[in-house]
Amino acid sequence: MQRLLHSSAPLWASLDKAMLGKLRKKTGYTFSNCKKALEVCGNDIAKAEEWLHEQAKALGWAKANKLEGRATAQGLVGVASDSSCVAMVEVNCETDFVARNKTFRSLVERVAAACLNHGKTLPQDNLTKSFLSADQLKTVPCGKEGGPLADHVALAIGSVGENLSLRRCALLQAPPRSAVHLSGYTHPAENSLGVGPVLCGRYGALVAFKATLDSAPKTQILGRQLCQHIVGMCPERIGDPEKDSPNPDTDSESVLIFQEFLLDVNQTVGNVLEEHDASILDFVRFECGEAC
Amino acid sequence: MALLASVLKLPRQLAQSALHASCACRRPSLASSSWLPTRTWSSGPKVNPEPQQKQHCNVGTIGHVDHGKTTLTAAITKIMEQKGQSKYTSYDDIDSAPEEKSRGITINIAHVYYQTSLRHYAHTDCPGHADYVKNMISGTSQMDCAILLVAATDGQMPQTVEHLLLAKQIGIQHIVVFINKADLVDKDTLELVELEIRELLSDFGFDGNDCPVIFGSALKALKGEETEYGVPSVHRLMDALDKYVPTPVRDYTSPFEMPIDNVFSVPGRGTVVTGTIKKGTIKKGDDAVVLGFNEEHKTQASGLQVFKKNVEVAVAGDNVGVLVKNLKVATLEKGMLLCARNSKKISNHYVANIYFLTKGEGGRSKPIIGKYIQQMFSATWNCAVRIDLKEGQDMFMPGQHGQVLLTLIKKMVMSDGQSFTVRENNKTVATGTIVKTLESLHFPNNKLYKAEVKNDVI
Repeated sequence: MQRLLHSSAPLWASLDKAMLGKLRKKTGYTFSNCKKALEVCGNDIAKAEEWLHEQAKALGWAKANKLEGRATAQGLVGVASDSSCVAMVEVNCETDFVARNKTFRSLVERVAAACLNHGKTLPQDNLTKSFLSADQLKTVPCGKEGGPLADHVALAIGSVGENLSLRRCALLQAPPRSAVHLSGYTHPAENSLGVGPVLCGRYGALVAFKATLDSAPKTQILGRQLCQHIVGMCPERIGDPEKDSPNPDTDSESVLIFQEFLLDVNQTVGNVLEEHDASILDFVRFECGEAC
Repeated sequence: MALLASVLKLPRQLAQSALHASCACRRPSLASSSWLPTRTWSSGPKVNPEPQQKQHCNVGTIGHVDHGKTTLTAAITKIMEQKGQSKYTSYDDIDSAPEEKSRGITINIAHVYYQTSLRHYAHTDCPGHADYVKNMISGTSQMDCAILLVAATDGQMPQTVEHLLLAKQIGIQHIVVFINKADLVDKDTLELVELEIRELLSDFGFDGNDCPVIFGSALKALKGEETEYGVPSVHRLMDALDKYVPTPVRDYTSPFEMPIDNVFSVPGRGTVVTGTIKKGTIKKGDDAVVLGFNEEHKTQASGLQVFKKNVEVAVAGDNVGVLVKNLKVATLEKGMLLCARNSKKISNHYVANIYFLTKGEGGRSKPIIGKYIQQMFSATWNCAVRIDLKEGQDMFMPGQHGQVLLTLIKKMVMSDGQSFTVRENNKTVATGTIVKTLESLHFPNNKLYKAEVKNDVI
């Protein structure tokens, strides 16, 4: 079969080819699938588009099943928050190319938002920390388009062609009108490509704390700094000034209140909390891809 | 020289200066007309340069995991082996992308080598964006071009955008496209795939209109099929690399630059500095300047010697001794740069790409937040440096790579792409390359911590 290689537009654009190109451009599905859609729907573009959308879920699941078991060591941590609940999720993929891609990012944002909504449906009498396992995550409903998260993941797998997996989720809830503040943060703290208020990064932290500061912005800043510290210094637990004592080797200090504050090494976190009449009630730290 | 370098496992430059250092202890004899310490190495002086060996080119493959990068790489080595110009590397050997340590950094990278009648190719493949960036930052070699692989069945993937962004980030200018699995789709689809990828390349500032696009099947090629999409497609690919990618040549036309390896005095003649010319051409009598360590000294190259012989001209690649007029040994030191006047800027402030080693690689366990002051090592010198973060960044975790601002305690000349390492307590904690030179910062009395660094630099 002879092929004419040229870089200018094809001389004879057949009707079929033009439609194939158009359908691909509009939907983004693979050329193979677009071609099949046109065949099945008798070259009717509108019907083909519909067919593709209907098939997307099935095709996504087919691909997901095919790729299942491939190592997913990369990914993103996503954090969604509002005044009474913060949610942190980890979604994995195979390569860091996909981790940086906006299709994947938008999936992570949807997962985080869905978990936040789910968290808000849980009883909120006290400050609660809870976790969702990979299996539980699969069934969480995704608010906007409906359907469980597992379906959304399958669709994304169909799109990027890599194995993707929901790994874990952490939730912190504070009862409304309590004095507890919630804060979430991801690192690197670059501008999210997403539209909503979900943050994404390789690391994330959630913190619940009490503080009597004279303004909301100041409280927000303190929360953010505490989260940043937790990401950077990786404490194992909060610590109790009455029961615990500092590690003689400051570099290995794993108790949060005794650690050198990330943003000011001349103070410990404990000093900073005292200064702001604050106390940390609970925290969670995720590092993408860590053993857990 | 190559032998010495490989025996000591040193980069070539260090091996050269090691030799210089050892030989400089011998006093040059008064009677001798040669000022250079006596030794010979490598090829002879090339005043009229002609390439004596085959040209070399570094190529990398980028593309979606399932589109056939590894199969293609294996196929290339197999087919070129049959031409006697490669050693076949199997799919499994390439796929494992073994970990490699470069300057202490762990990089997952597979290397294969092959040659055409025109060039040697060093072909690398990495599984991740971070691996390519770490490879670039560790300063080992500049990638000259990339083969972008796209399967015709899928067409480009959403993450093809990220593949092109990476290519841009590591400075690749030439991309050759291989459209794989071409046997599995029809002519129309092939044309659409080609159009689409050309458009995307143009969107990203690559030469979408004229870059070569090869259709083939890596699998058929690997199997040895002689049909259009089999073995011949690999030959077409090799041809495209030969013709489309320009040979990186030594730069003989830029203003000359010679990093100073050694300084000594020749009684009766004056002060001599030695080094290997990095760029350009120097003629006897040329005006020059020595820059570094906050100092600028105008001078003239009143004499040149290559291999103990007086010469009129020396070019990039030559190891040369330059008699520098009116300069005393005490004012000069190794690490300074001898270059054409008004060609280089001396500065203490730079933007750099940097990678902080993970704890596992021997680096830090905690992040840095800026105003980080340690020792920086680059070329043949070292000095104190302060690292600050760019606007929008609040900390740099070990294992992270990105751009930072450097402020050196002394003004030096650093070229774009020049690599450096940062050491804390004598262990390497970061490695990087210069992106661009900024205006020098003023700060009181060597007090780096007092410098006011503006972090909104683009």
